[in-house]
Order: sequence, then structure tokens, then C-alpha cells
Amino acid sequence: MATPVNAQNPSKTWELSLYELHRTPQEAIMDGTEIAVSPRSLHSELMCPICLDMLKNTMTTKECLHRFCSECIVTALRSGNKECPTCRKKLVSKRSLRPDPNFDALISKIYPSRDEYEAHQDRVLERLSRMHNKQALSSSIEEGLKMQALHRAQRVRKQQQESDNTTFSGGEDNCDARSHDSAAPRTSHPSSHATEAGPSRNKRPRASDESCPEMDRGSPTPPPSHQHEGPGSEIELVFRPHPHLVNTQEYSQTRYVKTTANATVDHLSKYLALRIALEERQASRQADRAAGGDAAAGDEAGGGGGGVNLQDVSEKQYTIYITTSGGQFSVSGVRAGYSLWFVLEKYPRVQRLLCNTALLPSSLLCVSDAQRLPDTGAGE
Amino acid sequence: MASQNMDPAAAAASTTAALKGGEAGGSAARGSVSKRLQQELMTLMMSGDKGISAFPESDNLFKWIGTIDGAQGTVYEGLRYKLSLEFPSGYPYKAPRVKFITPCYHPNVDEQGFICLDILKEKWSALYDVRSILLSIQSLLGEPNNESPMNAGAAELWENQEAFRAHLHATYKS
Repeated sequence: MATPVNAQNPSKTWELSLYELHRTPQEAIMDGTEIAVSPRSLHSELMCPICLDMLKNTMTTKECLHRFCSECIVTALRSGNKECPTCRKKLVSKRSLRPDPNFDALISKIYPSRDEYEAHQDRVLERLSRMHNKQALSSSIEEGLKMQALHRAQRVRKQQQESDNTTFSGGEDNCDARSHDSAAPRTSHPSSHATEAGPSRNKRPRASDESCPEMDRGSPTPPPSHQHEGPGSEIELVFRPHPHLVNTQEYSQTRYVKTTANATVDHLSKYLALRIALEERQASRQADRAAGGDAAAGDEAGGGGGGVNLQDVSEKQYTIYITTSGGQFSVSGVRAGYSLWFVLEKYPRVQRLLCNTALLPSSLLCVSDAQRLPDTGAGE
Repeated sequence: MASQNMDPAAAAASTTAALKGGEAGGSAARGSVSKRLQQELMTLMMSGDKGISAFPESDNLFKWIGTIDGAQGTVYEGLRYKLSLEFPSGYPYKAPRVKFITPCYHPNVDEQGFICLDILKEKWSALYDVRSILLSIQSLLGEPNNESPMNAGAAELWENQEAFRAHLHATYKS
């Protein structure tokens, strides 16, 4: 047997671990069995350990079969020891590497929209380098939310005609932490996607998530909420009424919200409160109008009968829950000051694949060390 | 090996040399370093490791402050140390400069806080990150390499753990 030192020995002597020597071959799966791969473990397979990003122009070391981006490993060899960064096996030069186009092809199958994802990430980085003041950032987000809420009041009448899925039309961008609700979207999609791009989608059965504020009236076609916060990292969220705390006869509306990942839970609560208040006011006006016209006039000033005065709207009105992988509802991970991004990160199962590669320092930096989430263990 | 680890001027010089190779891309290179540091920060915050933490010092992602708690069962148990980590623009191909801010009485740490640790020098690999560095230093605290001490007194005293502990705790200033 070769000593560990002369691993370069050209007559191949494989240094197999006990596990490798004794493992039994895996049967090929020929039936329709589906296997769920967690985003996290998939990510670790497709990640370059040097740049921590997805592998690009994959190079594989010939001897030890470790993978890196071409650029990363070439730079590493140029600037460091001539050894495999992963296992320290000797790497004489680029000749100890071979391109791995199959692996690249595999990645592009799983992530067909990679270019889009990278362009997005570049934009985000650029934006971040311009924006150092996180105070300014959060206040601008808050402004934005208010403006949108007000703006929405003017076009709220169009709501009913719009399709409920408009906010989800934006391609398979890998980086947004899209969270899908466990019930509704799943029933409509699963089999069609599972065959082709199974693990890359978040419509897998167990990727359930939802945040559940107590919600409003039972309109069967949920009005979409468009929230474009510019080119920053965006998160799409699904809100449903809490199944236990809210009477589904009264409130069954599902809401789709797309917002910047930098917004905090507080922002979101306030935004929801505003929306609900606006819609209630709208509804009560329509009801009044239908009932007999003139009564509505009185409402204009104060927000009227069933309506709510917008000044009184507060983020305290609604509580946001998140469903954990076990189908439990957790409120502990969703605290007022946390950025949405941070919350979703805590619940890896509920987010889109690889969203952590796309995100974003500034949302992170908003979270001071003292605010680190307590170890709830909910994430695992 | 001890000497090359210690001299900050030499360290700076080697970094500058590295930059010549690595910095052709200019701001692009810097961008990819930021990106990696952001990834690390996120991983570190999510990992919930006990006894280590790190966070950028200010808006500058290239300088972090880390903390290490002395591991249980070692003479350092109960003591907390702050460290500074400065990332060269050749990171992760070049090791960050890591030193103790909190004075650390240890065979492989000198009075200025410089650390003699191979993975921060010739054994550096691009796969190491803040987390692995801090964990390595944490374990170095409990298992010094007394063959090449930077602090000869501490190396000698290490033999007598009780006396070491007494001296350590008497001189510890957070």
C-alpha cells in the first residue's frame, strides 16, 4: 500500500476509507419514487467552496475529485500552495485539473435562470455599495410602504379583475426567498414540476411556509399586492389567515406580497394593517352605497361605519406567524425588528432554493449582534 | 515559522505582493471578496456556534471583530477574548490578519496579540473561513504548540496547569 505521502504515485493505489470499502451499491431508482433534497444540502453540493457561490465553469481535480470554479481554483493555485484547497493533495498545475462540463450542464438544468440570478445579484451588490446608511435604507422602505398603501387606495377598484398570480410571474429567479403556502399553490402544481425540475422548486410537499396574520374578509379571488421596491432582493410571501385563530368563514383571503428582503416584520405588519383597513373602508363604502347612497357621504371624512381611521392603523394589530416544517405555527422567530430576510433564513425549509447565496449584506447588517435569534431549534 | 508569523511588517509585505497578482480585476475583485465575506457572515450568524462569534466592525466588511470564549475544561474557561480580523483584497486566497485585541497570555500569542498558527500562514487554504479560524484559535488556546513558543514564559508555565490558570486569571483584563 502506498504511504500517505506518495499519493502522486501513478500506479493507482486508492486510499479508500472504511466507509468507501464497505458501502453497498445503491439501487437505481426506476419507479416513480420522488426523493426530496433539502435546498441546503443541494446547495452544498453545487457550491464552490472557495467563492461560496454556485459552481461556474466547473473544474475537478483529477486525483481527489474536488470541484471548484475554474477561476477560483486557478487563482488559488497561482497565489497559494500547490495543493487541493479541500484536501491538500498535491496539485502541480492546471494540468491536475479537468473541466467538468457535465456538472455545469447539471447545474444549468437545475437552475435554468442562472444568468438572471447573477445579474440580479450584481445589481444588489452595486446598490449596496452605494447605500451605506442602513438608517436611510429602512426609513426609505417605510416611506415606500406607506406610499404604496396610499396609492393602492386609488386603484383598489381594479383589484377584482387582476389575476391573483401576477406577482409570481417573474421567472425562476434563484435568489428571492420565495415562500410558498403549503396548501393552495401546491395543489395546483406539484406533479407537473416534479418530473422536470423537482428539487429546484419550492413546491415540494414539505416546503410549507406561510405567515399567518389574522386576516380579512373572504374574497375568493385574492387581490394581488404588488410591492416593487426597486431592484433589491425581493421576497415573495404568502399570507393566509391563521387556521386556528381566525374564523375561516369570515376571513379566508390569501395574500401574495412581494417586498424587499430588507423590510422588517414591523414594516410588514403595518403594511398589512393598512391594507386591511383600506379594504374594509372600501367594502363598507360599497355596502353603504349599495344600501342607499347618501349614507356613504358621511363616511368620507372619518372612515365611516365599518371602516377604520387610517391614523389608528398600527403594526400592533396583527400578529404574523410562520409555519415551520412540522406544520407548527411559530411566532417566536418573527419579531418586530427582524428583517424578513433574516426571518426566512431561520426557516430554511420554507425558502427558495439557494436564496442564501443571493442575499444581502445590508439586511444582515441591520441585525445587530445583540439581536441574534435565540436558539429555538426551529430551523432544523 | 514562528518568526514569519509574527512580524506584522512581513505580513503586510507579503499581502502587498499578493495584491499585485490578485488585484488585476480591481473593483471586480473587491466585489467578489465582499460577496464571499457576506456569505460567511450569514453562515456564521445562522450556525449558532457556541463560544465564537464575529461581526464586521462597522460598515467596512473587510474588518471584523471576533470573540472567542475559552473552551470548557481548559484553563481559559470563563474568559472571553476579542480579536480583530482584517481581510486582504486577495482573500480568500490570502489569509486574513488575525490578532488578539484582548491581551492573551498564551504560549503561541505574543504581547502585541499576534498569533502563531500555521493555518494563518503557510497552511492557509482558501477553504478556511472566519468560523474555522476562530474555532482553530479556540482550540489552540487549550492545546498550545509549546515547541515554537512566542511567549516562552507561558510555554514553561504551561506544564503546571494550576499555576498557569492562577497567573492567567490574575492577569486577565477584558
